[in-house]
Order: sequence, then structure tokens, then C-alpha cells
Amino acid sequence: MHLSGKEYFEGEEILPLYYGEDYLVLLPRDPYWLFTYWEVSTATKNWLESEINSDWDLLDLALRVYRFNRENTEEESHFDIKVPLSANNWYIKAGVPNKKYRVDLGCMLPEKGFKTIMASNIVTTPRDTLSEVIDESWRLPDWQERHFYWRIARNNLSSMEMVKRGIL
Amino acid sequence: MAKGYLAFILHSHLPYVRHPEHEQSLEEKWFFEAITECYIPLLRVFQGLNRDNIDYSITVSLSPTLMAMMADPFLQERYAAYLARLQQLAHKEEERIASDPVFSPLAGLYRERLDFASYFFNEKYQRQLLEAFKDLQNSGKVELITSAATHGYLPLLGVQKEALYAQIAAGWEYYNMIFGQAPKGIWLPECGYDPKLEDIIKELGFYYFITATHGVLYASPRPKYGVYSPILTPAGLAAFGRDPETSHQVWSSKEGYPGDYNYREFYRDIGYDLDLDYIGEFLHPMGMRSNTGFKYYRITGPTDHKEPYNIQWAADKAFEHAANFMFNREKQAEYYGEIMDRPPLVVAPYDSELFGHWWFEGPMWIDNLCRLISKNKRIEMITPGKYLDRGYPLQVSEPNPSSWGDKGYHEVWLNGKNDWLYRHLHRAAEKMIGLATNFPRAENTLKDALNQAARELLLAQSSDWPFIITSGTMDLYAVSRIKSHLTRFLKLEKQIWEDNIDLPWLRHLEASDNLFPHLDYRLFQNFKETIPVEKDKLTNIT
Repeated sequence: MHLSGKEYFEGEEILPLYYGEDYLVLLPRDPYWLFTYWEVSTATKNWLESEINSDWDLLDLALRVYRFNRENTEEESHFDIKVPLSANNWYIKAGVPNKKYRVDLGCMLPEKGFKTIMASNIVTTPRDTLSEVIDESWRLPDWQERHFYWRIARNNLSSMEMVKRGIL
Repeated sequence: MAKGYLAFILHSHLPYVRHPEHEQSLEEKWFFEAITECYIPLLRVFQGLNRDNIDYSITVSLSPTLMAMMADPFLQERYAAYLARLQQLAHKEEERIASDPVFSPLAGLYRERLDFASYFFNEKYQRQLLEAFKDLQNSGKVELITSAATHGYLPLLGVQKEALYAQIAAGWEYYNMIFGQAPKGIWLPECGYDPKLEDIIKELGFYYFITATHGVLYASPRPKYGVYSPILTPAGLAAFGRDPETSHQVWSSKEGYPGDYNYREFYRDIGYDLDLDYIGEFLHPMGMRSNTGFKYYRITGPTDHKEPYNIQWAADKAFEHAANFMFNREKQAEYYGEIMDRPPLVVAPYDSELFGHWWFEGPMWIDNLCRLISKNKRIEMITPGKYLDRGYPLQVSEPNPSSWGDKGYHEVWLNGKNDWLYRHLHRAAEKMIGLATNFPRAENTLKDALNQAARELLLAQSSDWPFIITSGTMDLYAVSRIKSHLTRFLKLEKQIWEDNIDLPWLRHLEASDNLFPHLDYRLFQNFKETIPVEKDKLTNIT
């Protein structure tokens, strides 16, 4: 049998604009940047409208970006980013490597401040330099370590980066 | 005792490309070219080393999609026809330039290579290239490992742990079925590492994986020996970090070996240079110019004027570069060896497809390198598995999330051009987990539909699609592949829930997107609901 599936596969390839679900997903891009995307279902929009007595279309939508300590997930700080109602994704300059982050999608209410609609998963930004944590049983004397890491860095980084990271 | 170890690793991967619905497909040609120019020449090198009893060790990673293409009778048939056409062209070329003393040896070179490929593929291995890899594995000189099922970029698929598990476990199962044994190591697609992967990799019984340089270098606590000894992750896996010097020597656009002026120029191909009247029948039926693999010039210099290729000069260079590479490893071993309590290990991973295709002389360079090292013995070639058998104590440290892509993290696979696709990939994974959890014991058509849904999702997850979109070449093809797999998945999902499966359509999907025939959709089951896969699914199919 010669398999020609052409006629079966035509008219495919249109992906849904909406899934009708609630989700807010956070992805790390590199040590400094995160990416998030979301969808708010009609049901949730209706719930929110009745909750705060306002039209969805009039809301001030915002992302609240929480930064946590890597080890104990204690909140270190947070900041807000206003996003247009038409947006469904955002790149966030989180700024600090080796931290845990979570994002809440919410709205700014005139007197009550930020109201969370939903929370994202938690992600960790990668390190962009050597770890400051030293295991004493696996420690090189300083001069040996410089000798060792200098050659690796020379081949892996530009000299500018080496200076920036305190290796040169 | 050798001063240092060299773990030379060749990662072989192509996305699953198979288009029975088209008479000819440009994209299938990626696979055919790789067989002719990379895989067969590399296999030929290894078989020659075995024949001459050379002491060498190399690790070869085969992605499950590449294995599936090698095992596919339809693609085997198409490759045989493709190769026969090229052999015809070789004879025509020999006639055309028979009286030209400069070019006729080159036509002869290509004719010999194609004749050998045909002998190797059609006669020696009866079209089953995977048998050649099995032979290699049995020789004990080559350690075969594998990768995630469709080479999904794992750090960005990890929103659902089940999706990671399915990618890794489906690849692991397929490797087991083909090679009849479990792989010791896993090649993380694009060296994309995230700590979430560890439990899964550990659970499946892998011993090690390979990371980009800063995957190990920036691990925490700080690794005492940088990338020159593997580290042990908290889950108990060995992580081998890529050595930056060996990658620089091969990849650097300025100083890298493949750019030597005596080596073959990739961009002068008779598919572009000769009259369409002559060459047209060997090109795409639509008349588009394309590469034939017949290239008669050397790089010559930073100029458009190209001099003819000289076989002997190129061979001399390939020898010189192999000797230079070995010399540099010795110096490197001396440098680090001064400080270390064990011989330093240099991990040098490359894409197999570099060798022979872009770097025509690459397989010859590897051949020279193995012979030189085995003779002078100051460096010892080793595989990660054999290194671990030596029993050096390893420092416990957690690797850093990273990749070997541009800028070292996830941006190649997550940027303004391709970020839209993660919403769909993650939604689809969520739906697949829902299906697998709700239908734990499906039979017959329902089971077929669920398995096909799993196949479509896996195919959509290939790292190749976002990569191609980023690089901007062939991006329409990549977008259409993602969209077609995802829309097929969504349609199947709907039909499954509605208990309304379009059987003829399902059978066409199965015939078209046919990889991993034994795939079990329950790999996607919610972790809490997991039922172990029956053991008979894991037996050798050969």
C-alpha cells in the first residue's frame, strides 16, 4: 500500500487561541531573565468581577514577582510589573542568579492594593559564576585554585567576562 | 600510566523526518546525507580501528529518533534509491572529467565512497545500520548511550514532571529494545540540564550524563577539580562537564581545525555550479538547486576564488591536526595533573554530524587521532562508564542549570521567535497526563489512539523545532511540524474523551508518525497513579 495521507492531513495546523483554562507558567531563560505566560478562563474572570465589583476590562493587571532565598524559600523581596489586559506572556528581568522565583498574576485595586488571581510554579535562576560554597574536604589552596580555574576560564570566557567575575 | 584521560563523545541526532505523503522531501535528505557523509564514514573508521587492533575508546550517543529512522523500512527504501542515484551521478562525473588530471581523482574519490556506502548499507548490513552499531558495542571499544525520546529540550518541558519522565523513559525503553541492554549514560539534549531531571534519570538506572562546561564548573559546592573530574550529584549520578579547550580547537571559526585552507570547501557543490541540463535530474524535482555532496574545491582562503581540492594535502593536514590535538591534550594533562590527585579527564563531546558533512576530513582526523594516541600512550582514551569503573572518589556537588547552546542557558530554545510554542506544549502535556491517568487500562482502538496521542506529543516536543525557528533557516517547516503534531494530538484527545475515534484517520496517523511502535502511553500517567510497565514490553525485539 502506498501511503499518501495528504487528504487526511489537510486543514490541520490551526492551534487554539485559548484553552478555556486557568494557568500561569513561569520558565527560567538564563541567570537574569524569566518568561511567563498565562490564560484566565471566563469562569475566573466572572468570579473576579463579582468579587471586586468591577469589569474585567477595567482592571489594572499586574505581575508580582517574588524572589526567594535558594535554600529555605524565605521571601527576600518582590516587585510589580503592570501588564496590559491584552498581554498573555511577559519577559521579566528578575536580575539575580541562583534565586528561586514565583510570579503571581493579579490586579491592582484602588485601596486594597494587589489582589492575586493565580500563582505560578517556582523556578530557580541558574548561577552565572563559580559557587561561593566550598566543601572543606574538597578544597584547593588559593594559589592552586587560581592556577586551575584561570586556564578553564581563558578558554570558556572572554577576558572581559573573566575580569567581571573576579577570575582574572 | 597515562598522564591524562580523553573521553571523546560523538552525539548523533536528527529529528524524526519521514514524509511518505511527498514524493521527495528536502528534509529527509538531511538524514540521507548524514548516513552517506557521517555515519557510514565514522562506522568505517571504527571498523578499521578494530580490524587493526587499535586500542581506543569512544562514546557514541544515538538519539532515539535517529535510531527509529535507521530502523524504518520506508526510509531504508528511500535511502537505497537516493544512494543509487548518487552512484549514477558519480559515474557520470567520472566520465565528464575523465581527461582532467586535477579533477578526475576527485570524481574517483566520491565514486569509491559511494560504492563503499552502498556495499556497507545494502550488502554488509542489509539496510540495518543499527546492526553496525551493535557490532561496535560488542567490540567493547565503543560505549553506546542514548538521549531523550525525541530530543526534547528538558529544562523547558519540566513544568510537568510526567512529561520529563515520558521523554526520558520512552528513549530508555527504545534503546533497550534495540540494543538488548540498558544504556549507562544519557546525553541530555543540547546538554540541557535542570536538577529536576535527576530523580528520573537515577530511577531509570543511568549512571551518568554530560553537561556544558559551566554545568559542572558552576556546580555547588565549587568542584575542586573543575571539569577535569566528574562530580557526583546529590541523587548519586556522575556529571561530566565539557572541556572548553577541545571544543574551541574544533569549533572556533578562526582557529578551529575545520577551517584550514587545505580542507574541502563545503559551499562549492556541483549542484550549484553545473548546468541544470546536466545536473537537473539529480536535484529536487521542482528544479531547486541543492547540494549533491560532490565538492571539488578546497577552502583556499578568505576569498571567493577557490583552488581545486588536493586529496594528499588534506590528508596531511588531518594527520597534523590529530597530532596537534594529542600534543595539546598532553600539555593540558601536565598542567592540571600537577594539582590533581588523579590523571585529569578531558571530556570532548561533539555532534557526529560535524564529522564528514561540514568537516569532510573529520572522520579521517578521528582515525589518525585514535591511532596516534594508542601508539604513544601518554594519553588514554576512555569512556565515562569505564572512567567510573576506575573508582576515583567523586566530590558531591549539584550541577548548574545550563546548556551548550549560544549564551549557555535556555535562550536558544526560549526567545521572541519561539516562546509561543511552550503554552501549547505544556497544555498538551497536561492533557496527555489527564488521558493516561483516566484510562489506565485501555484496550484495542482506545489504546491505539492513546499511544498515538503520546507519539504526536513527543514529536511536537523535539528541541529541533524551536532551534530551527531561532536559526531562521527552514523555520516554516519547523513551525508546520509543531503545529501538525499538536493539532493531531488535540484532535485525538477530543475524540478519545468523546469516545468517537476516527479509525481510518488514526490508522493513517499511525502509518505516518510511526516511531516507537511499542510506546506505552501510560508513561505519561500521573506520578501518584503509576502502574509499572509490564516486563514483556522491555524485551529485545530483534
